[in-house]
Amino acid sequence: MLSLLDIAQRTQKGPKVEVNDWNMGLFHKMNELTKRYQLYYPKDNPIFNFDDGIADRAFQAAVDFLVEKGIYCLTTGRVIQITREEVLDLVKGMPKQYAVGEGKDVRILKQRRLEEKEELNHCPGHHAPFTEELAPLAVKTFAQIPSCDYLEGFNFPVVDGREIFGMPMELYAGKREASWLRQGVTKAGRPGLAVAYYPINTRAAVMLAPIAREFGLRPSDGILLSVLPEVKVEQDYITAAIVWEEYGGFKLNGNGSGLVGGFCGDLGGALIEALVEVLTGWIVYRDMACWGSVRAVAAYASAKEIPVMSAEVWATSVYSQALNRNTNYILFIGAGSLSGPGCETQLLEVAYKAVTIPINGANVHITRQGRARMNASISPLDAEWAFEVATAVMNNNLDRHSAGELVRKIGELLKGRAREAPYHSINEFYDMVRNKPLPAFEKAYLDVKEQISRLGLTFS
Amino acid sequence: MAVEEQITEVLEELKEAILHYDTEEAKQAARDIVDRKVDPRIAINEAVLSASTVLHQRFERGECFIPHLVMAGDAMEAASEILESALPKEHITSKKTVVIGTVEADLHSVGKNIVAMFFRSGGYEVHDLGVNVKASSFISKATDTNADIIALSSLLTTTRPYMREVIEELESVGLRDKFKVIVGGGPITREWAEEIGADGYGTDAYEGIEVAGHLIGIGPS
Repeated sequence: MLSLLDIAQRTQKGPKVEVNDWNMGLFHKMNELTKRYQLYYPKDNPIFNFDDGIADRAFQAAVDFLVEKGIYCLTTGRVIQITREEVLDLVKGMPKQYAVGEGKDVRILKQRRLEEKEELNHCPGHHAPFTEELAPLAVKTFAQIPSCDYLEGFNFPVVDGREIFGMPMELYAGKREASWLRQGVTKAGRPGLAVAYYPINTRAAVMLAPIAREFGLRPSDGILLSVLPEVKVEQDYITAAIVWEEYGGFKLNGNGSGLVGGFCGDLGGALIEALVEVLTGWIVYRDMACWGSVRAVAAYASAKEIPVMSAEVWATSVYSQALNRNTNYILFIGAGSLSGPGCETQLLEVAYKAVTIPINGANVHITRQGRARMNASISPLDAEWAFEVATAVMNNNLDRHSAGELVRKIGELLKGRAREAPYHSINEFYDMVRNKPLPAFEKAYLDVKEQISRLGLTFS
Repeated sequence: MAVEEQITEVLEELKEAILHYDTEEAKQAARDIVDRKVDPRIAINEAVLSASTVLHQRFERGECFIPHLVMAGDAMEAASEILESALPKEHITSKKTVVIGTVEADLHSVGKNIVAMFFRSGGYEVHDLGVNVKASSFISKATDTNADIIALSSLLTTTRPYMREVIEELESVGLRDKFKVIVGGGPITREWAEEIGADGYGTDAYEGIEVAGHLIGIGPS
């Protein structure tokens, strides 16, 4: 199997391509592959995909892309070239499950099958900015969620009262993030719980600084090493991947996603992009799990209303099925929202996405809402709500047909709703010390749960 | 056909060519406009800029994508070059220029790309420096191109200070008043923009381009 060092060498030797040419080349190649493999949204507007053929064709399109186009290294402006045999050999090497954490807190992240009923993996929080006063408390409260299998780190602008600016402070902040994560999970009574470092920024030194057995990141912990949009990778990330690989920690790709309306073009192009970025994360960084979906860039860039787009939900189901049928990959799907935090619309958005997760053979990932704001991320209640909905879908024995109907109905509740963002701080809707929602948010939760129950989903 | 109708027709042809992302057609339409002695300034205002408005609306509705904005920008540039060549020198106004990039230590590009394409399809000359751009690179490019606007993007809370660094370096080299600086990105707020002394802030690409136009006196206030 091709090693990370092989990849590193290829970033220095592949053909030079201007970044603008790469971007526009993506558009043309994705259009060509969409036609070659007939990757179109069916005319009867389904929510989930029922055609195994299209899932397999989408996967073939992704492999063809890698073979015919390659992967762009932003640092060197060169294309990493790779053969079909190498891609397929690498795909065979993907782990089907992976142990994270240590001691009594070891959890197994695993690939799920479509419509499977076994317990889901759950990453319930962070990937959001907190101040240093609130960060340790945020870690503790999220770590107390029983279903939490690992926690992602967070971002913060100030450490020990000093602004994080410049390499020395960035390295120090990285080390502090790791120690706060460890302290937080220890206070929650789960000292061995795995944490995934959210890099302070994208310099290699900053990604490596927190590695430390005692008070930093352990080999049972992980790091987010994400593929950049438009199938781009970067040498600092590869550097970090090589070191992390030897250290033994797990690596996650936070961008196994395709953007409809970006340089990859329409829905078919975004579907291929999402699959290519999952494969790229494994090939270039050895990311053994990822979270992703197919979504519309225009909607996320500017939408004033919540986008309810069945085509994107369908494309995400094709994407999940393509990975499920052709790889061992461990997939998470995000249940994040555009609204929020702390409001009814957000909880409805979370439910809309969470219903799809077990049906798609994925695990639950929920961190912040669309736009990160300081100390104003989701609360543990939102995270548990996502898991509760996904678990109820399994307990109610929903399949693609019945879950599709439920998604459509929740979509009706969301249609025309504005992006809602009523609070400036998590403390305004959630008591972080007592670890429980404040009355208004608890009422919003109970109301939304009642609404979803009325649509036919029974909660135990 | 009356002369006015003919003028309307050729202007419409130019607009349609841009909206079909067809550079050759746009060039041909521009040549027709010049041959018919239509004031090129009218063509630029009525055909090119109105095409730009339509494109932005299409993008918002998900009917066209970033690559379409690139291709429409190519068509606009080619047509504008022909139209401007027919203008008397005293009527040629130089294009407004934007230098844009994601600040140091930050590799996120999606939002920055959308804003860059909006500027380009809005008739600006755009110099996109990419991602992980040092303050000195922004300043030297802005100086070399005599830019009107420096547009800074950041997606990480911890890379926001590099926006301030650009503004502070502009001040330290005595160039702060020469450029309008606008900022945007996931963790960026109006308060942050004010705190670091930026001239403008946009919550999204639409607001960004509107604010920029206002700052340099070519858009609605």
